[in-house]
This record gives sequence, structure tokens and C-alpha cells, in this order.
Amino acid sequence: MDIEKLIKDTFTAHEHDVPDDDTVLAAAQQRIDRRRTVSRPLAVAAGVAALTLAAVTVVALNRSAPADNVAAPADEVQAEPAIADLRMPFSLGWLPPGSVDYRVQRVNVVATQDDPDTPLYGGEYMLTVTANGQNLNVNVQHFPMASVDEVAVRSRPGNPVTINGQRGVESSDAGGPGGYELYVPHPDGGAMYVHVLTEFPYTAPAQQLVDVGRRVAQNLRYPGNTTVTPSFGLRDLPGGMRICAFDVGKPFDPSPLGSALSTGYELGTCTTMPPIRLSTANAPRGDPGQPTQGHPTRYVNENGHHSLWVLDAVNDAPILIAGSVPLTDLYDIANRLVLPR
Amino acid sequence: MANYENFVRAQLPRLLRYARMLTGEREQAADLVQDVLVKVYRRWSRISDTDHPDRYVLRMVTNGYLSWRRSRSARLIAADELPDEARPDDFASDHALREDMWQRLARLPKRQRAVVVLRYYEQLVDAEIADLLGCAQSTVRAHAHKALTTLRSGLTIEQLAEAKES
Repeated sequence: MDIEKLIKDTFTAHEHDVPDDDTVLAAAQQRIDRRRTVSRPLAVAAGVAALTLAAVTVVALNRSAPADNVAAPADEVQAEPAIADLRMPFSLGWLPPGSVDYRVQRVNVVATQDDPDTPLYGGEYMLTVTANGQNLNVNVQHFPMASVDEVAVRSRPGNPVTINGQRGVESSDAGGPGGYELYVPHPDGGAMYVHVLTEFPYTAPAQQLVDVGRRVAQNLRYPGNTTVTPSFGLRDLPGGMRICAFDVGKPFDPSPLGSALSTGYELGTCTTMPPIRLSTANAPRGDPGQPTQGHPTRYVNENGHHSLWVLDAVNDAPILIAGSVPLTDLYDIANRLVLPR
Repeated sequence: MANYENFVRAQLPRLLRYARMLTGEREQAADLVQDVLVKVYRRWSRISDTDHPDRYVLRMVTNGYLSWRRSRSARLIAADELPDEARPDDFASDHALREDMWQRLARLPKRQRAVVVLRYYEQLVDAEIADLLGCAQSTVRAHAHKALTTLRSGLTIEQLAEAKES
């Protein structure tokens, strides 16, 4: 009984009937581009959302903002450098009942070319609410440089909707993978995006997704009072350099981080793609480098793109600092890391 | 992110074929791989640091399938009722035989199907499958045994002999 041969033949008979490479790649790229919108310089009147990155770890943002929303100046802070909480630029005032699992909380900071000293802030939450055996994925994101009139919903042409007196656009892919999408204006400019979906086989009633999405949008809070605690911090960045983005999320398994959150920062002037990226990492490689803050390091030079791993920096995990800049610049950043004690 | 693009372009055909075998449907395979590509982009700095990024992404597709397809097999059964016993005249050709097996594969629980696809399509050994699924080799063998038992059920000796000779 050669059932194994029959199985192999069956697979082989179907392997030609696969989705088109280019179509899948284009669709993925479209989703990536939509998320990267906030990283592109664009001249927009800057109604700056309040983002407080409290304490000395984040004074490098060196921006002006309302006094009640900014970090205390460095010279007013007496404590030793510590890993400071990061404040999200908006908060979720309501979520459906259930157990909430935050997968990613992210902020992008963008300086416009016309007004580089007045950055724009875009935030994002990705979370899962579990109740009665149902997982409801909720993604809420601020696109500071998009308008509701410009956005394109994924599922199908959108329908007008009014949320808190503001005109938005919504789309519901009932029973499909698109879930429910909603764009509403942000009070300081840009568009807020709310996406609610369930997992396959998409058995949740379409109206449930609509109700959840609308209510999430109705209860968004500006500015945010939600803080997240990164697994490592930064202090006293070199002149002209800012934190252009940070993200905090659940470690991607397998990870030596344990219960610590994976953390990433992007540093630069924020007018172009940030040149330096820091993140908790898994497997270091390369040659041994200079010890930094008592931690061994490793580095790699790939045609001028340098990667520097600070070993055992967060639990047993290294921090990777990478960019197409001189290696000495990366060591400089490494010396400004605020690591958990 | 040139490395990401090069990597994706090189791996995409394999990932799509693999996803097609896992999900059994073109659209589902496209959605699954699309989701994974977006995640790979976000995590590229970490993934590119691993020793085998291709294996890492294969695991992402597998995990995506396992977590994404809840109750999938139940829906397929409801939508496409299969006969409990195959009849000889259903197998007038090799094509019919393979189509019947395709439907049987679709009825397998997701972990069993993943093991079958990894073993008989990706040609991985049990140790590699265990590593990919994060389980023991004995678990892989148990899934494979159950799957083969299920797939044999209802096939007559003559039909299997036909498959062997074809």
C-alpha cells in the first residue's frame, strides 16, 4: 500500500496552482507602504499630538510642546538614568470586554521638511481581546499625514459614517478576512484608523465588528495617558539626533527576553529614513568588539553598513544597533543605552 | 531593506507553494503568505540575524496556518461532503484518485496536515519537522501515523495498488 506515493503525487499535482508571486508581493508591499506613510516627509500644518517621553532617557527628542505634555528638563531630574516609560500619543478609552493582550505599541515621530523642529507623532496599538473563546484583533493607528478623504479601505469602497460629529469612512468585509475598517479625522490633523477582525473562519457577526470598531473610535482619547515600559532606554543623544520611532511589543518567539518586552528605537533627524535602528535581538554574530558599559560586544561591517551587538544587555538578550554610519557612531550610541539593572 | 526584498523574491515561490499545500486553497495561501511578508518586513532586522532566515520564515508560515485556520477542517466537511467509502467508479483515472486524496488531506486536523505536508512535500525529516513545530519527534511520528491511518480509511486495496502502479 503506497499511500505515501499517492500523497506526494497529490501534492505535486497541485503545486502548479499557486497564487501569483507578483500579486502577493504587491499586496504585501501595499500594506507595508501604508504603515510607512508616517515616515515620509510631507508638508502639513503641525498640530502636534502630545507625546511625553518622560525623564532623561528621552530628552533627545528636543522639541517644543505644551508644558504639561513634555518631559522634565534633564537638569531638573536628579535620579540616575533609568528606563523611563514612554507615553503613547493617544489612548484607547474603550475596548470590548475580555482579556486584552497588547501585541505591539508603537510611535513614529516625523519631522516635516518645512518645519523640522515641529515633529508629528503617529501611534499604533495592535492587540487581541479574547472573550468566550473568540479572539478579536484590534489595530488602531494614527496616520498624521493622511486625510480621511485620501484613504483607501482594504476591503471595498468605503461608506460615509459620522463618529462624534466627525465625518469618516468605513468598510465592512462581512464574513471575510478584511474585517471592519474605519477612518476618522484626528483632532490635530491626519486620520485615525481602526481595524477590527477575527481569525479564520471569520464567524463573528459582521455587526459585532462594526459595533466594536465604531465604539473604539468614539472613545479615543487625545492626548494619550497610556504609558509603556521599554526593556531598555536611551539618554543624551548626540546633537541633532532624535528618537524618530519606538516600538514595544511581545517578544517574537523564540526569544531569550523572557517576560521583557521587545523594544526598538529608530534614531536620526527624522526628516529622512532614520539611519540608526536599535532593537532587542536574538543571535549576535561577527567579531568581538570593545566592551561597552561592562558588556561584551560583537560587530559586523557589510559594505559600510555596521551592526553592533551589545551582549547580555536585556536579560540574556543582546541589543542590536545598526546603520550605515561609522562604527564609532554605533559605539557612541551604545554608551548612551540605559540598561536594566 | 534591499536584503529583505532579495530574500522575499527568492523565497516567495517556495512559500506560496508551501502555503498552498497547507491551506489547500489559493486565496487562503495568498492571504497567509501576504500576512507573513508584512510581519517579516517589520521584524527583518531580527530575522536576518538568524542562522537560517528561510527556515524561520517557513516556521512563521506554519504558525500562521496553525493559528489562523481554526475550525477549518470542520467547515470544509460541511461545505464539501465526502463519501464515507470511496467507490471504484470514482477512480477512473489517476486524476480522480489524487483529487480524492486532496479532499482527504483537507479533512485532516491542521497539525496532522502540517506534518504530512512537511514530510511528504517539503521532504523534511522528523527531527526538522519537530524543530519547526516546536514539538518532540515522537509527537511528529504520532501525527503522521494518525494522518496516514485517516487517509487510508475508505481506500480499497485496489485503489492503493493503482496509486502504486501509476
